[in-house]
Amino acid sequence: MSPVRGGRAAAVVIWLALVVVCAGWLYRNLSIGADLTVFLPPSTNAAQRILVSQLRDGVAARLILIGLEGENPPALAQASRELARRLKAGSRFGFVNNGDLAGAAKERELLIAYRYLVSPGVTAERFTAAGLAASLKESLALLASPAGPFVRNSLAFDPTGESRQVIEFLAPESGPEIRDGVWFSRDGTRALLVAETVAAGFDIEGQAQAIQAIRDALQATGAKGIRLLLSGPGVFAAEARATIQSEARWLSAVATALVILILLAVYRALGPVFISALPVASGLIMGIAAVSLLFGPVHGITLGFGVTLIGEAVDYPSYALIQAGRGERLADTLARIGPTLRLAVLTTIFGASAMALSSFQGLAQLGVLAIVGVGAAGMATRWVLPAITPPGAAAHKVYALPFDARAVVERFRKGSWLVAALVLAALAIVVWRHDRLWDDDLANLSPLSEAARTLDRALRAELNAPDLRHLVIARGKDRESALEASEAVAAWLRLAVERGWIAGFDVPSNYLPSRKTQESRRAALPDAEMLKRNLDLALRDSLFREGLFAPFLEAVERARSGPLLQIEDLSGSAFALKVNSLLVAADGGYAALAPLRGVTRAEDLAAAARAAGHELLDLKAESNNLVNSYRNESLRLIALGLVCIAVLLAWGLRDLVAAARVLVPVLAAVVLDVAILLLAGHKLSLFNLVALLLVVGIGLNYALFFNRPVPDPEEEQRTLLSLAVCGATTLSAFGCLAFSQTPVLRAIGVTVTLGTILSFVISAALSGKEARPKGTAKQEQN
Amino acid sequence: MKGYGKLAFLLLFLTAPAASGAATLTVAELMQMLGSVESENARFVETRHSALLKAPLVLEGTLTYRRPDRVEKHVLSPYDERITVEGGRLTLENRTQNRKKTVSISGAPGLAALIESVRATRAGDLDALQRHFALQLEGSREQWTLTLKPLDAQLARYVSQLALSGSDARIGRITVEEAGGDRSVMEISAGTSSGERAPSGKSFRSLPVPPAPPVVQ
Repeated sequence: MSPVRGGRAAAVVIWLALVVVCAGWLYRNLSIGADLTVFLPPSTNAAQRILVSQLRDGVAARLILIGLEGENPPALAQASRELARRLKAGSRFGFVNNGDLAGAAKERELLIAYRYLVSPGVTAERFTAAGLAASLKESLALLASPAGPFVRNSLAFDPTGESRQVIEFLAPESGPEIRDGVWFSRDGTRALLVAETVAAGFDIEGQAQAIQAIRDALQATGAKGIRLLLSGPGVFAAEARATIQSEARWLSAVATALVILILLAVYRALGPVFISALPVASGLIMGIAAVSLLFGPVHGITLGFGVTLIGEAVDYPSYALIQAGRGERLADTLARIGPTLRLAVLTTIFGASAMALSSFQGLAQLGVLAIVGVGAAGMATRWVLPAITPPGAAAHKVYALPFDARAVVERFRKGSWLVAALVLAALAIVVWRHDRLWDDDLANLSPLSEAARTLDRALRAELNAPDLRHLVIARGKDRESALEASEAVAAWLRLAVERGWIAGFDVPSNYLPSRKTQESRRAALPDAEMLKRNLDLALRDSLFREGLFAPFLEAVERARSGPLLQIEDLSGSAFALKVNSLLVAADGGYAALAPLRGVTRAEDLAAAARAAGHELLDLKAESNNLVNSYRNESLRLIALGLVCIAVLLAWGLRDLVAAARVLVPVLAAVVLDVAILLLAGHKLSLFNLVALLLVVGIGLNYALFFNRPVPDPEEEQRTLLSLAVCGATTLSAFGCLAFSQTPVLRAIGVTVTLGTILSFVISAALSGKEARPKGTAKQEQN
Repeated sequence: MKGYGKLAFLLLFLTAPAASGAATLTVAELMQMLGSVESENARFVETRHSALLKAPLVLEGTLTYRRPDRVEKHVLSPYDERITVEGGRLTLENRTQNRKKTVSISGAPGLAALIESVRATRAGDLDALQRHFALQLEGSREQWTLTLKPLDAQLARYVSQLALSGSDARIGRITVEEAGGDRSVMEISAGTSSGERAPSGKSFRSLPVPPAPPVVQ
């Protein structure tokens, strides 16, 4: 065995061992994360941290709005009750509400038991003789009103109407209409429910299961003609994922078929097609294993983007196999093109290494995946392919394009002045539009249909659900002081409601008043003797019988001497859920959150919040800010990566002019790509940015091979063929994505397709006319 | 035998129209009669007997009705309180306590049914009545009594039965018997009514109706 053969055998063994070890590691340890925080800058401000925790665990992100329609109201009401019962019995929902009072018995009981501590109407004046006399007059009028029969039995223990006050206070009259005992839309065609998933909002799998549970539960009720309408962040996320998955699946099937067809047409045999897939597949396995080893859970987004980023590795075997001369061993071909291939791989690795050093974990994951994946695919192409490719495997392949490709390239070269002019124009467009370059609205990337958005708005309005956008935050060093802050928020928000700035709000202190407030209410209650005396005085001019109100005297005395309402007392009721979701641990202390409804004057609110020492958080603006900071970091790192690539090219090609010949076409293609997207009315998003990175990687490969000095015309033909095949496979793969209905996939597809064509053509046009002196080329080979 | 039979037949023939005229006032006929009224203003005196009270509470005031679904009870004594129901909204305005609020009656099914007992009867809306109550009608066109028993479990827990009585298209008395034994009787004195429909079914207004005060939403 010659040393060369031994070396190759060793390469195969090491490669196989690595693939097996990595695959084994992944099989045992791979967990796909969906935690958004890895994609956030580490030094976010407090508002963004709350935003993130809201996105992850917030109650708003876990709400599913449910509508039932298509039947008459009694049937819908029946289905609503049955559905609520089944969902409550299951384990996927922490809270289900359909407006049915029978379902809120626990909550009513709590409110009545703690009415003197929870009601905002409890003041000392209310329990004086005059205050009680006024209450008795009110009670008498109530007894004589149409509501009389219903409140009659509660008058004896609650003549001041505290229970009613509390219930009215917590369930303002703006609630949905009730028909047949459950919530309905105003027009009566739709029964409405709200369900809160146990799974967090970002847990798309959990959300999908919860949605399925609702469908199953409705099916199980046996209701036939009822249409189920679902909306909410979790529903959107699950639907978006399903759309992207199904589209990605069939688009990638079409793309794979096209790529295989192209390769089959070139090799006219199956073996080389199969061999071509090995480097990129092994690179992917090793790349993911590396990320998993370094970071733990691999984020789903890393996987998606990462696969795109290392997509250029598919081309490596093509460059080698197609450029092999007649009867040439693959090892010799690779030795010949090795330096160029190495630069192609290294430029991508250098470009990605800046990303790998990012403080954003998501970007660092992407960088590591690209470095390891592309590096492994490159090494597998260079060292493993020659060993495992049987001699003559590609003997039937095509050796040249069916037309005179050299003449075409020659024609391209004549148009280099046109390229220069176009690039200048493109630069002008980019500069002119520099302030409108980026799409700052995340919503534009969501694959939601307008119909889905309309439905969400309709259900949200009918259910009076919070708009998921505005929150007032008040902080405290502990739970208690946060509750006090929550009461301060409620005080000025009530004014905001009166002024019409907002339609309504919710605060945790409504359900659990601070200890201070509860104590002050308790202090307002007179002792038994005093209360009896005051009541007797009040009864003198009243029609109510003496002695009737003994239960009232007892209840007040119980509240006066009994315990305060604690969060533990709420457990098992809907209020516990409310308090726990609106009172959250944050920054070593606690934050009280007040979700707002129907915000009309956001600026006035923000000013009022600042004046009160609180904070108005616009979730939409903050999430857009987050994405922007992510994008800025990416841009910075990409620029740094480009500098690394330029240095590497200058060093690798030993020639500044040659380095410029390789780098300039790629940069020109990127600028033109961006300009064309802008002219077509698009704005750039993060997804375009990742796609542009791929364009840089692929484009550099084209430029490198276009500029590789070739000694004879036949080899030049083969080089051009390999470039044409690589270009065609990339075009078919990403061209398919360009037809996607999903904005994310389309953005990537369109950008890469355009960029591929542009960098191909520009690389050809700017490629060196004459082969460089042999000396330089020789130097490269080592 | 033959003569007796003839006499009996003759008697039957003679008395039949009168007897059937008095006994066969059907609920449908009553509803049609009631439904012909476009609007009405009347005074009432309501006496509420309750175990909670030392003596019965007596309220006086006015009742206003306007087709199709607006009913207003304005208590003038011993306090000033106006309760207006229009469509699904109930507005309560108490001038003595200076309080005013509007609620949706759909939120309280029992209350909605109780309100419908009066409003649907006044409007002659048989469907609405039958949705909430089992009906029993006695008497003649000149003197009828309609007894309502709640079908709705929510209401049945609090109200055992209602009785509305009157003559022709006028309701003269409403009695509410509560499940707990309390009882209220509202005597309604003849007021002005307008818009009795012509036999053709074409409606017109024979008397001007004072404009209704604006309903506060």
